[in-house]
Amino acid sequence: MELSASQKQLSNSVKSFIFDNPILILIIILFVGACLFVPYFLTPVNLQNFVLQGIDILIVAIGVTFVVLNGGIDFSSTAILSLGSVVGAYVMAKSPLASTPWGIPVGILSMVVVGGLVGSLNGISVVVFKMPSFISTLASMMVANGLAVYMASVVSETAAVNGLPTEFFAIAGVGGKLLIPVLISTASLLFTYWLLRYTVFGRRVFATGTNPRTSNISGIPVKRTIFMLMLISGLFAGLEAVYATARNQSGLPSLGDKVFIDIIAAIIIGGTSIFGGTGGVKQTFYGVVFITLLNNVVNLLGVDWTIIGLLKGILVLVAAFIDIFSKRLELMRRW
Amino acid sequence: MRKVIFYVLALVVILGMIGCTVQTPVPTTAPASTQPTSAPAIQPTAAPAATQPPAPATTGAIDGKGMKVGLSMDSLESAFWIANEKAIKAQAVKDNVQLIEVIAEGDANKQNQQIENLIAQGVKAIIISPKDGSAIEAAVQKAKDAKIPVLMDNRPVQGNIMPDLQVLSDNTAMANQALQWFVDKAKKEGKTYKALLLIGALSDQNAIERKAGHMAVLDANKAVINVVAQVPSEWKQDVALAGIQNAFQANPDINLIITPSDFLLPPITSALQQIDKWKKIGEAGHIALVTFDGDENGMSALKNGYSEVDAAQSADGTGFILVDWAVKLANGEKPAKVNLLDPGKIATLDNKDTVWATIWGWAGAK
Repeated sequence: MELSASQKQLSNSVKSFIFDNPILILIIILFVGACLFVPYFLTPVNLQNFVLQGIDILIVAIGVTFVVLNGGIDFSSTAILSLGSVVGAYVMAKSPLASTPWGIPVGILSMVVVGGLVGSLNGISVVVFKMPSFISTLASMMVANGLAVYMASVVSETAAVNGLPTEFFAIAGVGGKLLIPVLISTASLLFTYWLLRYTVFGRRVFATGTNPRTSNISGIPVKRTIFMLMLISGLFAGLEAVYATARNQSGLPSLGDKVFIDIIAAIIIGGTSIFGGTGGVKQTFYGVVFITLLNNVVNLLGVDWTIIGLLKGILVLVAAFIDIFSKRLELMRRW
Repeated sequence: MRKVIFYVLALVVILGMIGCTVQTPVPTTAPASTQPTSAPAIQPTAAPAATQPPAPATTGAIDGKGMKVGLSMDSLESAFWIANEKAIKAQAVKDNVQLIEVIAEGDANKQNQQIENLIAQGVKAIIISPKDGSAIEAAVQKAKDAKIPVLMDNRPVQGNIMPDLQVLSDNTAMANQALQWFVDKAKKEGKTYKALLLIGALSDQNAIERKAGHMAVLDANKAVINVVAQVPSEWKQDVALAGIQNAFQANPDINLIITPSDFLLPPITSALQQIDKWKKIGEAGHIALVTFDGDENGMSALKNGYSEVDAAQSADGTGFILVDWAVKLANGEKPAKVNLLDPGKIATLDNKDTVWATIWGWAGAK
């Protein structure tokens, strides 16, 4: 029986969707497997944990995706989490604004501003001083981490800054307000998706990431675009600091110490190329879902903790290998 | 198509690894008659200055009836935590408890996530050795909201949300007693010292308390011990090593090191060996050591004549008590006090025959 034109078109679209997003197959298989074989996976408490734990890395990973799309990396994103957390917690709990109605909004704003400042410094280093992003962000990571630890030790004897207003915790979904973090993360995702897909800036990002020289010759403001990428990455790390501080209910100078591997794993496994130019926040979202699902499932199964890191490392390696292999094939085809 | 093939291969890797490593929830039942009948209690201190009531002894006759208890460890980097975890596991077998263990690898945020997952698994109690006493408050609150008793292992919650039980070391008193013993000895011998004071991580209440215990003695005995350098270690051996080396460069006449943990003995040994100052008591150039923990390294240094005194915690006793109380709390029993304090023991050059053999790290050192 021959397929009609519309059926063929549908079949091709499905095929093309699957081939463009192979990580989805993995997510679906893992999800179905978890539903069938992992005890407690499908309970309301665990599903809520799953959502909140996904948001733990989604917002910051969205920002870093912009830098990776340019073939760069942003090591400072995790240090912004730490510094932003301490600064914001200080404003909300220890500053003169602490017991006023301005405490929470100024605290939130200060975290995002910290992200913006560090992101701007990264942008200036890369654009003006021509530093590779991995050097400039490594330096700013060390500075921001040092500042976070120093500030916390000055503000609080115990290093972490406590005494945050309980109303602030609603941002992390405390008190049945799950909708708040879901809305914040969804808005971040939709906004950046729109920015990359439907705006001139988005097209410039992909063009610059694919070939900055050609883009420059074509009249694209490459420097300004790269500066904006670094700034956006910083701002989203600042926003993640707001959520993570509310989640942990204290300002932690060690907040971002160990999260970088998950951020990068989500971006690369999702399908954004480490060489820049291809991928996007949609892929990062898939990557975050996959990494969170994996973390959740292995926890519930009681998989030996030493294996978990190994597992993620192998997955990143496989994804990077796919990326490099695809690039080489493409080059060979062109020749 | 190639991408799809690679991702399918990745899936095979994942499933294979999960399949190989998943811990089958075998009930840890063991016939009571084959198990030791009592777990060692946290012992009263050798030095009589502790003012806290001694912690209760375990009965050894508790039956958890296979109940699930969560264990959230910060990391397993030091001998203390390894011994503590081992004791918890041993007691779980003895008490017929199914232990579900997660390890945060030194990440406070991850620890909170893992505790959320333990709550989702319906554990009846959670034992936590927190990475950060402040950050753990959020997780403790979540457990309490889910009506799950929480027990803190060796590190207290620093905040307003109190767990159901905290089994802690009396750090301030122990650090104080160990250093006071050393000062008294120095006074008797008419010696004075220039000291390097190592400090743990400021995010750890234990480190803060130990520093307070040391500082109280140091402030009162400035004529005997002059602290010429303070080195924050962040509980990292490499940070401590660099700090010790720098301190000796700036102050080559340091002749006493006070450390808040035996965990930092390897970098101390390494730094002293590099400048040819790793000498036994009585040898020329010996650097006196006042240590804390009572682990294998600490007791070895004491036994071999490299250190003078070690304030020993009860890594195993704490573990035994925690599992017993996890079962009791899950069964509705309440402790008389939220804080059970281990007064510890002070192993000195003077009490080799009476105290050393009772310290948990002695078996390895011997």
